[in-house]
Amino acid sequence: MSEMKEMILEVVEKMFKKTVDKETVDLAENGHWAESVWQILKDNEILNVAVSESAGGAGGDIDDLLSLYQLVGKYAVPIPFTETTLSNYILESYQLAISNDSITYCLPQTSLVMNDDQTISGTLINVPWARHVKEILAFAHSSEGVFPVRLSLKEATIHPNTNLAGESRDTVTFNQSKSLQVQSTPLSDDQLQDLNTIDTAAKNALMCGAIEKAFLLSVQFAKEREQFGRPIHRFQLVQQHLALLAGEQAIASSSLENMIAALLEGREQNEVAYTRIRLDEASRIVSTSAHQVHAAIGVTHEHSLHQYTRRLWSWREEGLTANHWKKVVANTLLTTPFDDLWSYLTDSEKIFTTN
Amino acid sequence: MKLPAVHFTQRQHEFRFEVRQFLKEKCAEGKFHTKCDSWLSGSNPDFSKLVGEKGWIGLTWPKKYGGAERSSLDRYILTEEFLAAGAPVAAHWIADRQTGPLLLRFGTEEQRQFFLPKIAAGTCYFAIGLSEPNSGSDLASVTTKAEKVEGGWIVNGAKTWTSNAHDAHYMITLVRTDPFDGVKKHNGLSQLIIDLHAEGVTISPINYMTGQPHFNDVYFENVFVPDEMVVGELGNGWKQGLAELAFERSGPERILSTLPLLVELIEELKKQNNVIALEEAAKLVAQLWSLRNLSIGVARVLEEGGEVAIPAALVKSIGTKFEQSIPEITRLLVDTYPRLEAKQKLDRLMAESLLHSPGFTIRGGTSEILYGIVAKGVVAG
Repeated sequence: MSEMKEMILEVVEKMFKKTVDKETVDLAENGHWAESVWQILKDNEILNVAVSESAGGAGGDIDDLLSLYQLVGKYAVPIPFTETTLSNYILESYQLAISNDSITYCLPQTSLVMNDDQTISGTLINVPWARHVKEILAFAHSSEGVFPVRLSLKEATIHPNTNLAGESRDTVTFNQSKSLQVQSTPLSDDQLQDLNTIDTAAKNALMCGAIEKAFLLSVQFAKEREQFGRPIHRFQLVQQHLALLAGEQAIASSSLENMIAALLEGREQNEVAYTRIRLDEASRIVSTSAHQVHAAIGVTHEHSLHQYTRRLWSWREEGLTANHWKKVVANTLLTTPFDDLWSYLTDSEKIFTTN
Repeated sequence: MKLPAVHFTQRQHEFRFEVRQFLKEKCAEGKFHTKCDSWLSGSNPDFSKLVGEKGWIGLTWPKKYGGAERSSLDRYILTEEFLAAGAPVAAHWIADRQTGPLLLRFGTEEQRQFFLPKIAAGTCYFAIGLSEPNSGSDLASVTTKAEKVEGGWIVNGAKTWTSNAHDAHYMITLVRTDPFDGVKKHNGLSQLIIDLHAEGVTISPINYMTGQPHFNDVYFENVFVPDEMVVGELGNGWKQGLAELAFERSGPERILSTLPLLVELIEELKKQNNVIALEEAAKLVAQLWSLRNLSIGVARVLEEGGEVAIPAALVKSIGTKFEQSIPEITRLLVDTYPRLEAKQKLDRLMAESLLHSPGFTIRGGTSEILYGIVAKGVVAG
């Protein structure tokens, strides 16, 4: 774990508190670019976290990055922070040049075509922030395999679209575009697996942050709102919702913590999947109970709760979903020879720390 | 609250394996059969003695009292393996989990020297006397009273829902040593060690819905308890009892009571090559993984003396729901005919799980009480 982590998190949380309020998110959902948020992160070199200093980054590791994503989720931060930092993290791992500006990425599940003349063609859908950023890390296939490519979005035709939360998820079309850089070898199976894993890990962190916020808003509301002459948190049936929310929040955050520990130790395959599957459940319980606690005001546009519940409903369907990871886990259970489930689960913890 | 991530050392993995091997051997020798809910409904004094001989009761206690001076994480691993194997550890469970730590913290030197070595040997069992006929969730309303006489106390009253009192030698009993002061019910309560074979003690079984013995009513009629059997401070019984609760609520026994059924379900689905059903079972596996993380995180904080009342209550309220969900999801994924005497292991484990599952969310603090504790905690925090 990076020693700087706690300090970075504290500083960034302050920045988010200062620059991201409900109106900022509203504006971004209507297509405005949140320049002040972007600028403060850029000025403080937060956009370069987890890229090594030799590659032009600010240092730090994946733990720092995922913990920052949790904050992005907690404040519904409306800029392509996750996309830019994760693209650069991946580019560096491919030994490709990182982007100095804003960049987004698209997983190879939808890929472009590499033409014989090395130009790129094809259409990508649901690309986060495409209309606002300069570059994209995408994947193009040729007869030799699938290649990571970095492209300028100036070359693309972009049709704006959004997810349920009003975040830009655009359609991007390239037509015989020149790439900025291509990996010299096709994407290996390991690279593909790492890519899927890290993308899901990032989504997990975002969801965990939004879950935490929905929980905090509900507690706050239950303390402030009075009915029948007393604050509603005094009612046992409301307390039950608060307890459910607290439980899901605790499970989410401890899952994330353990997932990150596993990532740092290189035994993440199952952990990322388990976390994704569990957060799917948590997002359902949390959005239901948080809205129930807030009652009518929580479903109005005026209140900020929906900025988190709509994100949960969007994010849980993006990238590789819980459905995908359930299949992965099922397949692993089926094909891995083991004594029994229990010994399998406990054996996979076997990354030893010193006594 | 941020809980630390799970890390086990090489030595801890080896210990896990050692325990697992021992249990495999004993199971193969027919010393026990894997059962669901074995930690509370599987009482077997012979087996407890075997565990005592291995030095695995009072694992964390000082060696001079028969303990092994190992970490509470080692004990966590040991407990997990007992539960996963469905081993019958109920006889010594309470003494190991609660009485030992209580006496180490609040007991006198004489009490420690007298009780702890016997507990560690697997030959001395305790019950907990909390609930009364008119005092369940509202625990502080106990009315069993102890009146001072020369050299000790005379106890009159009754305890109920006392698990395994029929096998136990002693009971840590919450009694009123000072009358209710009209202000706070929690004042004036003390913990006494009562010899369950003493004159004036009557134990009458309350059979579980399976017809098997489990709970008991325990009546006290002018039972003399010597002064040396008072635990800790007079009048401090409520606080002393509360200190035990975080341990009681956050342990693996709030997650793994029906694990043997889940293990069997996965076996069966693998045999059937049933990928679709395994996808549903994957949700249970993810849930198990996440709950273990939470529970082990709490165990680590407890070891460092941290305050974990709220997360401990969360582990119990979510963990016990998970335990209950295993038979319900199992029956959606495989055909089963639950029966306690069934030859098919899955059918038998199904029956045990179903019949014991209502108790999971009741014993040790009902879910409703826990929800209240959690909600009040988060509102205050």
